[in-house]
Amino acid sequence: MRSWLERAGFDPRFTSLVLALAAIWIALAIATDGIFLTPRNLYNLSIQTCVTAIMACGMVYLIVARQIDLSVGSQIAFTGMIIAYVQVRWLGPETPDAWLVSIVAGVAAGAILGVFQGWWVAYRGLPAFLVTLAGYLMFRGAAFLVADGQTLAPLSSTFQRIGGGVSGSIGPAWSWILCAIACAWVIGQAVQARRSRARYNAAMATVGADAAKVLITCAALVAFVAVVCAYPDPTSTAANGVPEGKGIGIPVLILIVVAAALSIIARRTRFGRHVFAYGGNPEAAFLSGLHVKRVVLALFVMMGALSAIAATITTSRLNSGTHSIGQMAELYVIAATVIGGTSFAGGIGTIPGAIVGALMIQSLDNGMVLMDVSSANRQIFIGLILIAAVWADALYTRKIAR
Amino acid sequence: MKTISMILALAITAIAAAMPFDAFASGALVGVSWSNFQEERWKKDEGAIKEALRKAGARYISADAQGSNEKQLADVEALITKGAKALIILAQDANAVLPAVNRAKEAGIPVIAYDRLIEDPGVLYLTFDNVEVGRMQARAVFAVQPKGNYVLIKGSSTDPNADFLNGGQREVLKPAIDKGDIKIVGEQYTDGWAPEIAQKNMEQILTKNNNKVDAVVASNDGTAGGVVAALRAQNMVGIPLSGQDGDVAALNRIAKGEQTVSVWKDARELGGAAGTYAAKLADGAKPTDIAGVHPWSGGPKKIAIPSVFLKPVAVTKANLNIVIGAGWATKEQVCLGVAAAKAPPVCK
Amino acid sequence: MTALVEIRDLSKHFGGIHAVERVSCTLHEGEVVGLLGHNGAGKSTLIKVIAGVYPADEGELVVRGEKREFESPADAREAGIETIFQTLALAENLDAPSNLFLGRELLTPWRTLDTDRMEHEALQVISRLNPNFRDMKKPVRAMSGGQRQTVAIARALYFNAKILIMDEPCAALGPAESRMVLDTIRRLKDEGIGIFLISHDMQDVFAVCDRVTVMKNGAVVDTVRVADVTEEDVLGMIILGERKKTGPRPAPG
Repeated sequence: MRSWLERAGFDPRFTSLVLALAAIWIALAIATDGIFLTPRNLYNLSIQTCVTAIMACGMVYLIVARQIDLSVGSQIAFTGMIIAYVQVRWLGPETPDAWLVSIVAGVAAGAILGVFQGWWVAYRGLPAFLVTLAGYLMFRGAAFLVADGQTLAPLSSTFQRIGGGVSGSIGPAWSWILCAIACAWVIGQAVQARRSRARYNAAMATVGADAAKVLITCAALVAFVAVVCAYPDPTSTAANGVPEGKGIGIPVLILIVVAAALSIIARRTRFGRHVFAYGGNPEAAFLSGLHVKRVVLALFVMMGALSAIAATITTSRLNSGTHSIGQMAELYVIAATVIGGTSFAGGIGTIPGAIVGALMIQSLDNGMVLMDVSSANRQIFIGLILIAAVWADALYTRKIAR
Repeated sequence: MKTISMILALAITAIAAAMPFDAFASGALVGVSWSNFQEERWKKDEGAIKEALRKAGARYISADAQGSNEKQLADVEALITKGAKALIILAQDANAVLPAVNRAKEAGIPVIAYDRLIEDPGVLYLTFDNVEVGRMQARAVFAVQPKGNYVLIKGSSTDPNADFLNGGQREVLKPAIDKGDIKIVGEQYTDGWAPEIAQKNMEQILTKNNNKVDAVVASNDGTAGGVVAALRAQNMVGIPLSGQDGDVAALNRIAKGEQTVSVWKDARELGGAAGTYAAKLADGAKPTDIAGVHPWSGGPKKIAIPSVFLKPVAVTKANLNIVIGAGWATKEQVCLGVAAAKAPPVCK
Repeated sequence: MTALVEIRDLSKHFGGIHAVERVSCTLHEGEVVGLLGHNGAGKSTLIKVIAGVYPADEGELVVRGEKREFESPADAREAGIETIFQTLALAENLDAPSNLFLGRELLTPWRTLDTDRMEHEALQVISRLNPNFRDMKKPVRAMSGGQRQTVAIARALYFNAKILIMDEPCAALGPAESRMVLDTIRRLKDEGIGIFLISHDMQDVFAVCDRVTVMKNGAVVDTVRVADVTEEDVLGMIILGERKKTGPRPAPG
């Protein structure tokens, strides 16, 4: 079965991940009398997953390169406070473009945190575990100091849309347009890939297999858009009183852009190739003349920027800047990345896997609150799932090593 | 070489960070062990404690346990070593802090349990009546919504205050629940009192009940903020909602009609009392000598502890002027963005 | 004719350890020079200096008549020096083309990786070395020792190395694969490429080398022509560190 999948161009590990997610969804649907699979809950789930998923994209790169970042939760807190500070204390929330300036400031702050940590790791050779552990403490303290511990609210009304709540989605029309564009792109990519291989008379999967992949991907896209459009917007002000569907939430759009960009960088650019090479064999990377220090530094800076983007979504959802956001985020992000197939040994990891991993964890949390499970029990259960996922991954790795 | 300078730099930073804020002036030394100074309100408490100590001619040193039980034990030992003659302890965990309290007792140093319960008959338990806070929260919401579906958004499961509050809330709601007028359709603890977790939990509860929720009893203003965010996404802002702490954002919500009540404990009153009592205890007074003290055994272990309970104030739209008058928040802060038509008296 | 590589009084210290002490040797076109010695004699350090991994502390490195100072392995590559390290320096998680082009990837007009072209080019070079090795998608970790060696050699060949350094190429190989490697070395020699070869196997050394330089404790014991000595002579030089006692040596070349 596995070799058939491989020959057809399906990644068997990713496939089993998706199947596991499907199984979890079915189980949750049954346990919640179907509420879990309603458009409303799936829309909420998509928004709730974005923060973890966006950061997991960056964490994939770090773990692939044999690094780690334990401070991402604190990074969210600090950059989130900077964003709120710019809007509330400095510019005033309703100043035009205050929201944009605040986001730029937040991303810049995140990048600076990344430069700080990355410099110690790449240029001074300190273990990432220790440097980012220090960052975990320092950035949380810094977040408190931004506003002396106070909550900064309310935020700009334009900014609020980024959180996916009020006016936070793009509506059915645009959602379907984007879906069409995405499907066209998927088809175009497949055709282009076949042409390129044909030019070199290289071996390729059968037309049937490629068509199946394209079909499944497009079907998933269409299904997703259909679901989020089926959720009537409770805050819409439609003229005839019939609310239109929510459509794709803005956080999800942000996630798609981030995931697409980072996927392309990983698979199609020199930088991405060098990250994987370094993770696979740091010595080989150095001997091959790669600028390994610059690469490692860039990874931490990227993580800082992604944390700021995640903070944008969280503060926007809450419509306030508090310094207590992002607690334990690092654990969920790392768990999502590992469940998604990224190995601590380095050199192996995928972005889609991390996103599915984040989705898996959030689905469990989301579904269990629907089931009125207490937070203590939820934590135990999710912890067990994490162990199961890592164990399954270990078994899989051992199998292919033989 | 690099490692050594790195370690040195870290050590110096750690020591500097742990240094007490103002350790000059004569008089008895009073030590404060904070559980997690980073939560919003404690700065106000600290200011009041320092002021009261200054007036009593005592000196202030402190340490922040940053949420860790182990660190709190170490902090208390450090404060004792530095020569504190009385301790004010904001316990991270009521049971885990007992070894620290024993150390103090062994050294003959009196302890004030600040705001959070420490079940030891030798301490002076100084707090706002947290059960009464819960009662006030439920009462204010019940007054507006005597029947319907209720949601309880509780505090952190590791904080005994969360259960005191919940106890008070349920006490007030019990008759209506028994009669069938009120149904609790959702109840969740909020890890770390984090607003974003409260938001997510509320989203799920609303989904589960198809928005058929008529009132929310949230245990503090941070979680109330998360609840409001979830309600806003469903166009349900305005249903009765409680809170605690008198956060500026919450007072603003009350003025706008988005929150019904915030039970305000003037932290300055608590801090001032703690500072004054600590100075007295440091000079040799016994806990039973303090004015207003009474034995209270309402804790889980039912041990009788000398206690002083201060009275909280339920702040609603009608009496926002109290917080403004007391200098806790400014009129601008409270009335920010309030529409003139729906403005409460204080904002007109 | 000018030597391809001339090393004059090269020294490299690590703190108090003199890994390479005033070493001089040369390499000419179409010549294979063996570097022999005990573990710790300084052979690996010497070639790492030539390969640009370490800068020399003292002495000169002259490549094709030009004095060079390499600041990184990339500099050495630019000078036409390709190195096959003992550890092969391959990334186990990547496939053959990725490793072959590591650091020198081929790009499309849109600056993305041209994976198909790299796969094609790699296949050409690798199948010339080993006609049975055609699966370009297999990751290195799934390859045999011989296949890995092939990838490492193909990397050197593809980029038209004029000077090749090979550190224990046959150490992890069976007899058949070793023979393939030695055949390749002979072919390269015929094409005019100069090769520094580190090896412990006396048979291999005598099979392909023209001259050998023996090192001990960081210094050169002597450089002799293979045709002039026997295996025992060389062993003696390695173990005892003594120059061979003979009459005047004929000049090389």
